[in-house]
Amino acid sequence: MDIFAGLATVLGDPVLLGWVFLAAVVGMVVGAIPGLTASAAIAMLLPLTFYMEPLPALAFLYVIGKSGRYGGSIAAILFNTPGTAASAATQLDGYPLAQQGKAGKAMKVATLSSVIGDFTGEILLIIGVAWIAAIALKLGPPELFAVYFAAFIVIGSVIGTSVTRGLASAALGILVAMIGLDPISSTERFTFGSFDLTNGISLVPLMIGIFVLGEVFTRIETRGARPEIVPVDDSDAARNALSWAEYKPCLPHVIRSSFIGAFIGMLPGLGSAIAAFVAYGEGKRRARNPSEWGKGALEGVAAPEAANNAVSGPSMAPLLTLGIPGSTIGAILIGVFLIHGIQIGPTMFLTSRDLVFTLFACGLIGIVIYGVIGYFGAAYVGRFIIRIPTQVLYPVIFLTSFVAAYTSRGNLFDVYVMVAAGFAGWAMRRLQFNPAAFVISFVLAGGAEETFRQALLLSDNGMMIFVTRPIALVFLLIGIAAMIARIRSVNRQARASASRDA
Amino acid sequence: MSPKTAPAPRAVGVALILIGTGAMVTSMGIGLDQYGRWGARFFPLAGSAALLLLGVAELRSARGAPPADRQHLPAIAALLVLSLVYVWLISVVGYLLSTALAAPLALFIFGVRTPVGLCAAAVLCPALYHTVFFVVLGVFPPLGRWVDLLDLIGGY
Repeated sequence: MDIFAGLATVLGDPVLLGWVFLAAVVGMVVGAIPGLTASAAIAMLLPLTFYMEPLPALAFLYVIGKSGRYGGSIAAILFNTPGTAASAATQLDGYPLAQQGKAGKAMKVATLSSVIGDFTGEILLIIGVAWIAAIALKLGPPELFAVYFAAFIVIGSVIGTSVTRGLASAALGILVAMIGLDPISSTERFTFGSFDLTNGISLVPLMIGIFVLGEVFTRIETRGARPEIVPVDDSDAARNALSWAEYKPCLPHVIRSSFIGAFIGMLPGLGSAIAAFVAYGEGKRRARNPSEWGKGALEGVAAPEAANNAVSGPSMAPLLTLGIPGSTIGAILIGVFLIHGIQIGPTMFLTSRDLVFTLFACGLIGIVIYGVIGYFGAAYVGRFIIRIPTQVLYPVIFLTSFVAAYTSRGNLFDVYVMVAAGFAGWAMRRLQFNPAAFVISFVLAGGAEETFRQALLLSDNGMMIFVTRPIALVFLLIGIAAMIARIRSVNRQARASASRDA
Repeated sequence: MSPKTAPAPRAVGVALILIGTGAMVTSMGIGLDQYGRWGARFFPLAGSAALLLLGVAELRSARGAPPADRQHLPAIAALLVLSLVYVWLISVVGYLLSTALAAPLALFIFGVRTPVGLCAAAVLCPALYHTVFFVVLGVFPPLGRWVDLLDLIGGY
């Protein structure tokens, strides 16, 4: 029932609706620009939202995250360059379809599948989130620490190509979060006598640096290169129209992939890219025409697109119920909640229930808006992006990142932090570390330390409390099992790769 | 522990060990609480130890890696220097003058060579950003210690 009240609130507020519309357009355009992600756009626009009311601010950034995931498919299909990592799987069949003159058809399949996937994820979130929050309220500090521990291990080891470097990224995130005063005893940690460091490292400049300035540093390596667009011929309506008979075989893949994406989305840190590739692999395994996948199968566009958008809603579940961001976008949204004085976690459903469900309603309306714009106008978005000169775009983003970092607290030290984080973000990408694991661990570290110390205060046997409490033990084992499984998988791939080379 | 050899495994392994060791030593210097417990020290120490162990693991699994592409390093270095100088300039000559210098330089690094475009950026970028952030949003601008154009043109 809460969601209907939320929908009524959004539909009755033209200003809020305007923000949702703007977010749908901005997210789609940013997502479609190769190299720029929704996370980068959200990080850059975050300081602007400090001057807005909480609901429009959250809705604006939340919908950018949704439409940004979809926007990546436009670049994947038209430019053969995924706009986001999540749309790399879409590229496998999307670009061959575009080469066959069916770019319009591929984009319509991507749009419909994204909308269905996103709706599925959002509805599962709306149904399940209050239930998860009720369970979360019963978890004590030992269990919560075990959840944090599992999140660190999963985020560090499962994403990216190197397990050691992924885990090192998470450990670095924890260490950077420790800079400043200890929140309990006010003891200085890693401040090296600097007054500026006693306040700790602020989340906003860190994220602007990692996701925005880091991307500018990365893009300098490809400066001057322009993406080539596949021509979309509007006059060839027969090849680019999408009939029900053509979309019907995609539907089972879309439904399956939506649930795959929703499940993966609930697990902290895994995100859209993993969901898209898992859904693509599973779709191909079950397909009636597996030999056509990779050569321009519509189902090969539908499956990953449904999965990567289905991640969006459920990835909010750990954030809203436990205060644990499931994605980089979730980590950024924590900043908005905190700035506006909204305490995230299970009690949020008691204190800010209306706001949460109105935010979900904004998400549903945002899906409809980007669906309509994308279905009829994705090709125009592609043509618009190709006209943006990257040698002007990235310097503009460069300058914006400085003023955005300053705006967050009106402090030039934050701008220095942003520059350092930007360079570190570039180095991390280049050395195959994991910037997302770094940022999410940075966000999680404070809560993890707090619950760890609370648990020890509750315990008569020191750290044995984590082993003697069954739920805590289960989560600790999940973390360790995920890491072992990942190491085994990576070693298997390495052996296979070595035997192929031999 | 990666299917394809990640770049510079030995250098990364050594760097992680050095950072981990340095952080461990620093963590041991964090004061104990009033009851002599490790409270504030525990998490930094755990993170440092993890980094140290991961550095050792990285070094142990190091294999030959392809040589790193250094072609773009001068441009990266130029952008890093520009970034640092830009922030310092903001603190000494204020936002408008520093952005008027940084904007054309950033465009130049990204390959823009038209004098008209560079000159236009030097005027338009500071004016636009100043209007949006410091006038419309009402953020207090960073004023220069030595000189600030806002003093000359009369407030913001």
